[in-house]
Parts: sequence; C-alpha cells; structure tokens
Amino acid sequence: MGPGVPCNEMDAADREQLLGRIRGVVGERNAFADPYEMRLYQYDASPETALPDIVVMPGTAKEVAQVVKMCADARAPITARSGASSLAGGTVPVEGGVVITFARMDRILEIDIDNLRAVVQPGVVNLALSQALKPHGYYYVPDPSSQGACTIGGNVATNAGGPHTLLYGVTVNHVTGLEVALASGELVQVGGRNAAEAIGYDLTGVLVGSEGTMGVVTRIWVRIQPLPPVQKTLMAVYPDVATASNAVSAIVRTGILPAAIEMMDKLSIQAIEAASHAGYPLDAGAVLLLEVDGTPEVAEELGERMAKVCRDNGATEVRVARNEAERQALWKGRKGAFSAMGRLSSDFYVMDGVVPRTKLPETLAKIDAISERTGFKICNVFHAGDGNLHPLVLFDAFKAGEYEAVLRIGDEILKLCADAGGSVTGEHGIGLEKRENIRYVFSDDDLEVMDRVRRVFDPQRLMNPGKVFPGEGLKPAQAPMPDGSPRRQPRTSVPAGDDVWV
Amino acid sequence: MGVKARPQALPGQEITVDEQRHFSVDGLLPSTVMRPNDAADAARDLHACDQVPAAVVVWAGGTQIRLGAPPRRYEVAFSTERMTRLLEYEPADLTCRVEAGMRLSDLQATLRAQGQRLPLDPPHPERATVGGMVAANTNGLTRGRYGTVRDWVIGIAVAYPSGKVARAGGKVVKNVAGYDLMKLHIGALGTLGVVAEVNFKVQAQPEAEATLLGHFEAPEPALDVGLKLARQYLAPAAAIVFDGESFSEFLPPQRAGEGRGGGPTQWTLALKLDGYAREVDAARDVALRFIREAGGVVEESDIPPAFWDAARDWSAPADEGVVLRAVVPLTSSQLLIASVPPDARVLAQPASGVVDVRVPATSAAETLSRLRDAAGAEGQVVVAAAPVAVKQSVDVWGPPPPGFPIMRALKQALDPNGILNPGRFVGGI
Repeated sequence: MGPGVPCNEMDAADREQLLGRIRGVVGERNAFADPYEMRLYQYDASPETALPDIVVMPGTAKEVAQVVKMCADARAPITARSGASSLAGGTVPVEGGVVITFARMDRILEIDIDNLRAVVQPGVVNLALSQALKPHGYYYVPDPSSQGACTIGGNVATNAGGPHTLLYGVTVNHVTGLEVALASGELVQVGGRNAAEAIGYDLTGVLVGSEGTMGVVTRIWVRIQPLPPVQKTLMAVYPDVATASNAVSAIVRTGILPAAIEMMDKLSIQAIEAASHAGYPLDAGAVLLLEVDGTPEVAEELGERMAKVCRDNGATEVRVARNEAERQALWKGRKGAFSAMGRLSSDFYVMDGVVPRTKLPETLAKIDAISERTGFKICNVFHAGDGNLHPLVLFDAFKAGEYEAVLRIGDEILKLCADAGGSVTGEHGIGLEKRENIRYVFSDDDLEVMDRVRRVFDPQRLMNPGKVFPGEGLKPAQAPMPDGSPRRQPRTSVPAGDDVWV
Repeated sequence: MGVKARPQALPGQEITVDEQRHFSVDGLLPSTVMRPNDAADAARDLHACDQVPAAVVVWAGGTQIRLGAPPRRYEVAFSTERMTRLLEYEPADLTCRVEAGMRLSDLQATLRAQGQRLPLDPPHPERATVGGMVAANTNGLTRGRYGTVRDWVIGIAVAYPSGKVARAGGKVVKNVAGYDLMKLHIGALGTLGVVAEVNFKVQAQPEAEATLLGHFEAPEPALDVGLKLARQYLAPAAAIVFDGESFSEFLPPQRAGEGRGGGPTQWTLALKLDGYAREVDAARDVALRFIREAGGVVEESDIPPAFWDAARDWSAPADEGVVLRAVVPLTSSQLLIASVPPDARVLAQPASGVVDVRVPATSAAETLSRLRDAAGAEGQVVVAAAPVAVKQSVDVWGPPPPGFPIMRALKQALDPNGILNPGRFVGGI
C-alpha cells in the first residue's frame, strides 16, 4: 500500500496491528492489506463493490476461528467469501473490515459412501464434489447454474438451489452438519454424519441460508445420493409464455414429478441460440426444458407421458434428447443463458423472484407490461417448475440514469412477486441487494425475531454486516480509493413500500 | 383431588378435575387451560402467561407428550384444539397452509381428495396434529426416502411470549428470504414459541405401492439388505427391521403367533415400495434379489394394510412403555443392535440410522447407558417415551450437544421468562 493513502475505513494503526496479529496465525503471505492486491476482493457477481481493509486466506478451521476472534476483539467486520458468485452482493464487504477467503480450504475431506455422506471444506467447488463422486455412482444434488465456480461454503450461506432442486430439494435438504467459527472464537460442530435429527435445536438448519451473518462455516457434512441411471430430457416448444406456464401446471397436476422444469422466453432463446446453438427454435415464443430421472424403462415411459401432456397443452413441437450428447446440448443452452445475454446487451440485471406456480402466467404478463412501459427489454430464463423467476433486465450502464431505472424495475418486479404470494428471493439470497425488498415479505415483527436470533450468534453485528436486514448499519460512501474513485459505489436508494416508481 | 389454584393475574378458563387429569404431564397438573382460536389469539394468551409469569405446556394430540424431561413448573395447559382450519390449499401449486391444531389424518384426507399427500407418517395420525409433529419432530418410517419434517415445512407462524406473531419462510416451494426459522422450531418441543400455522409443500400420491418382507435368522443380514437398498437408486419408501415378537404384533390377531419359522430369534426386513408402477416393479426385483442373496425368505402376499399402521405406531405406545431412540450414522446400526439386551425389542430403520428400542421400565436405565456407549461420539440416544419414574432416574436427552450455549442463548432471547415448557428440553432448557 502506498504510504499515507487513506483508502481504508479502519484507522491505519489499528489495521496494521490487526494485520500483524492475523499474519501471526496464517503466515505473512496469507494476509494482506495492499489496496491493489485487495481489489479482486471488492467484487462479487453483483453490481456493487466495496474494498475490505484486510484479506485473509486461512489454511485450517482453527486458523479461521483464531482470525474471527481477533476480528471480534478488534470490532472489525468479517465477510466470508469463496467463489464470490453472489448475484445479490452477499460477499461485498460494505462496511470494510476483514474478508476471509477459502482459496486454501478447498479440499474434499472424506467421501463416505457407506454412510451416504461427504465431508468438505467450504472452498470446494460445487461441481468438483459431484465429479469426485461420479466414479462411485453418486452425486451431490444441488446444482446452481454457477456450479462450475460457486463453492459448497457459499451454497450453504445462501441455501443455494439450481434446476434439479425441484424434485430433490435445495442445499438445506442435503446438509446434515456444519463446523462453524463463532464470533466468540469457538469452533463448534452442529449436526454431523448422522441423520438430521440431532438433539437440541437444529442449528445446522438455521445456519444454512443465514448468508454469513451468524458465523463462518469451516466444514460441511453433506448427503450424497446415487446417480439416476437415466436422465431423460425433453424440449417443448410453445407459441408464448402463458401457454408454456399453463403446461407446467398441467404437468405438475398429472402426478409426474419431474427432476427439472426450466423455461426460456423468446428473447432468451434468441440470445442462447446465437451463443451456443443449443437447438432451440428461433421462432418459438417459449421453450420448456423438462427432465425426468429413473431407470431406463421408467424414464422412457415418463418421457412419453410428459411429451403427451406438453402436446395436449399447446406445445407445437416436442423433442426428446436421444442420447447424452443431445441432452448436454439442451442443458448447455440453459446453463449458459446468462453469459449468452452478452449478445443482446452490454449489461443486464438479473432478478430472483418466486411466485406460486399457478401465478406464473399473470406474473409474466405483468413483467411484460413493465418492459413495454419502460422500454427496457426483459428476458425470462427460469426454474418454472418451482415458480422461481429470473427476469433479466437489459441495459447500458454507460447511459446516464439507466442503472437507476433498472433498479427501480427490479424493485417493482419483486413487489409484484411478493404480492402474488411469493418471495423476493428463491436462491440468490437477500444479500446487499434486497435488504429493503425483504420488507415486502416480512413485517417488522418477523424481522425483529430474526434479528434476535442473529444477535445470539453475533452480538456485535460483525458477521457480514449490512446484509439481509433492511437499512441498518450501512454507512454512506467511505474514504476514496487510491485512484480517487469512491470506495463504495453507492447505488441510488430504491424506494421501499408501496410508492414504487412507475 | 381438588383443583389446583389458578394464579390470580391469569386469564383463561377455570379448569375441571377431568380436564386437569387429561392435561397432566408427568404427574404435574395445570391450574388453567387456554384454548386460543387463532395465531393472534395464541400470542395474546401467551403474553398474558408471560406477564405472570406462568409456565405453559403446549398441548395438541398428546401423542408425544411423554417425550422430554418432566416439566420444572406447569400452570397453563395451552391447547391448540380450536386451531384446526385449512387456511389455503392450491393443489396445482403443491402447497398448503394449515393451523397447528389440525389433525394429520384430516390434512392427509384433504390432500388425498386431490390425489396428493404429505409423505410423512408419524404415529397416530388420527390424534397427532400438524403443530405437534413440527414441535416434536415426529417422523414416521419414510425418512430414508422422503426425509423428515424439516424437508416439507416451507413456512411457519409462531406465537411468542412477547405477544407477537412472527412468520418465517413463506408459501412458495423455493424461498431463501430471511432466516429459516422453521428449522429452529422443528423439534424444539415448543420451548421457543407456540407454532400456530404451518405451510407445507406436498406431492402427488404415488401411482403404485407394494410391500414385501424378508425373514432372517439374525438382525445383521436384514440390516445389511436395508442399508444396501438405501444406497442404490430405487430406495424403498420405508425399510424397517424388527424382531419376531413385534412381527406378530403387526399382524391381525388371527395371524399373530402363526410362527412362520418365527421364534423369538427371527428378524424381519419389511419394505414399502412406492412410486410409478414400473419403478415399483424394478425396485421389487432389486429387493427380492438382495434379500435372497442374503439368505432371507421372502413373503409377499396377504400382508394386511394395517401392518404398516401398526409398525408406524409401535414407537409411540399408548401404555406406560419405555421407548429409547438412537440416531446414528448408517453403518453404526449393526453395532447398536448388537448391544440391545434380550429383554428389549427393536425396530430399526437402516436407511436413516434410526433405531427404536422398547424396554421394560426396570431395565431402562441400563439399556440406555449401553446404547449410548454403542452409539459413540457420532450418535445419540434419547428417551422418546417413558413414565415419569423412569425419566426422573435417567438423563432423558443425554449430554448437551456442542453448541449448547447457543441453544441456551436462543431460549433466553425468545422466551426470556422461561415460560415455555420449562425444563423439558435438552440440557434443562
């Protein structure tokens, strides 16, 4: 760090002292405070940025616990991060302090097929675990679209989902135990290898999805399950999203339990085709991607039955992947959807609302109306089977006012999801982004109880502060970064409550 | 017996002698009964208790009232019997919202009418309530495939001693907004708040169902087959291993004691298969092969539907019996069963590492300590049901788990005056 550059929030002497102590635990090379080196750690996959004061790369759980204790003693905020693929600003250190990153804690500690468990460090990449399990005939189910980059630790923080959680559940349904470093400096194991019926309160269940606001997870026990013998994937083509949405409800009502039902609208199809040639028809109004798991006979039968339901409910074409290559091609389009959007627009803002399945047609129509009214294009690529929408608002960040306008659109979309009986986040988390939107689904009384629970774990509010809860603890832009740009790029405040921008 | 005096400051109804007897817990009697009409009502009543402060035991079907240590104090029987409404149910969304006092059998009947179900089957569904199932975390025999209460609850409304009703989760199947406080209340035995409403996700009824039995000379091969089945793709909906004596109990009187080679040393693996018709066929083929390879004798016909009901209710006996419940890593069930003394009876779920042991009151303490030794550091054994005399002589929950200081602090944060089920939970909470 250049001498005398006032780029951090912590008092320089305090920072040096804390850095020295942390280095005493993790070694000289594994903790740094040079603003240039730390720049990488101001981002995640959300538009927000904020520079930490110190970045630490601990090598063991014990080191994590010691670092956490030192931070707590120094009253320095702690933000854990690994893949940093959060779309909600979950790992942006908005209040500065210490970022703990798990680059060195990325080992699969144990694969225990006999007990149907794996034990991993938080920095293990989601896909790496399933790849390690594959030779044994097993896998770890939750598969966020970012599974090649996101880590199990991050998945635990956000209770991550993915396309295949429709049938098998989200992260919390697959985690049976955690080791966690608490603000007190204790390293505690909750739950473990046995069934998730541990005596006492289910702290594992409470910690999963708490977005790093209760403690720093250092080890994870996950449930693994046998790979399905066959995964049958179908693509059904529809004239419009309303027809496709109604087909989703029809499928759900037949009693077939698909492993995944994904939807892409016209704009997304065009972007995806341009990028990855998945084979989606360019003239389609909507495409459904459906998958069933089973033995060969079962998958075959269900595939046929599902194809019939799709046709009976307005599909103009149903195509069944005949082999794994065709299946992968269909999925490649879906999983690469976000990056394909670059073909349509220099910037996009992705939302994560949820509505009851039956409210999909009217919600999509309302989103369409917002797009028409505002002139911003909105794509929809989402987990239709569980009503988890991912509207992408396309914009140009270099045009004055566009970003702010897009945030207001996002706010409006979340409000209409909440009003439809849904939620403001299905899998990305509240993070920094939706701290105010959480009020659309929870009352002050609800949030007050959650805050009491948080303070039990973290009385000083040092764990990932500025996240999940509305409006507290967030300070305005802080001292500038060395090049003179603001340390934190504050986004224009988004109106809360009913007075959304129209 | 006279009626216990009611604390002056407490609203609620005068209690009759009969009611006192009905609502007694481990020999303690309440002096008042409260029967709130809905969540808001429950919060108001609870707040009134908190201001005294008067100790509350939450009552519903009473099927799990014998779980937990004897209460330290008990003034108010807090009954959810008037909170029985179905609040929302949209079959195409596969979700519903119900009041806590609704009986499970009523909920299942409502769902069945739409071709759907909640794939959990705790004991005595005709008496057990939704709220009781959540509070006591009672899971039936379908854990291995369908998980437990925590996998099906998507939202909750809880009445707190503060007088407030607070919600968590929501009505959609995928939702990560705010803390997952559902998990906090599942299995908390009502010590952090009174569960007033529960939102579930549900699923379609399976197309086909089949039961088959494999009889073995010893428990080990039966457990082995159950475990092997759990590790392959077509896992059974339920897999239980039990002794010969229980077997005759699960059959109707005319068949009980029928022998079937069934001396007391005989062990049976019972499998319930469900799913799509072809899936059940394929699962049956696999199961038959595994059973025969392990030297078991297959029985497939004439198994009455009541068999599974009896097996389900086995671990919540209506009498004064003692039930010890071990939860261990899957591979530890063998070791655990080996430590069960001859006077005890066993029902194990090899796919989920749960072993229920019924034992005479006289040898409960000794068996409990043997099981705890066998369960090892990664397992745990609790007293799931027992008469008060037994509960007073043993440690019902065992040593507090790691993280217990956090649990105690959670209790303090949400129930600062300690009015909710004082003393009944882990570590004296």
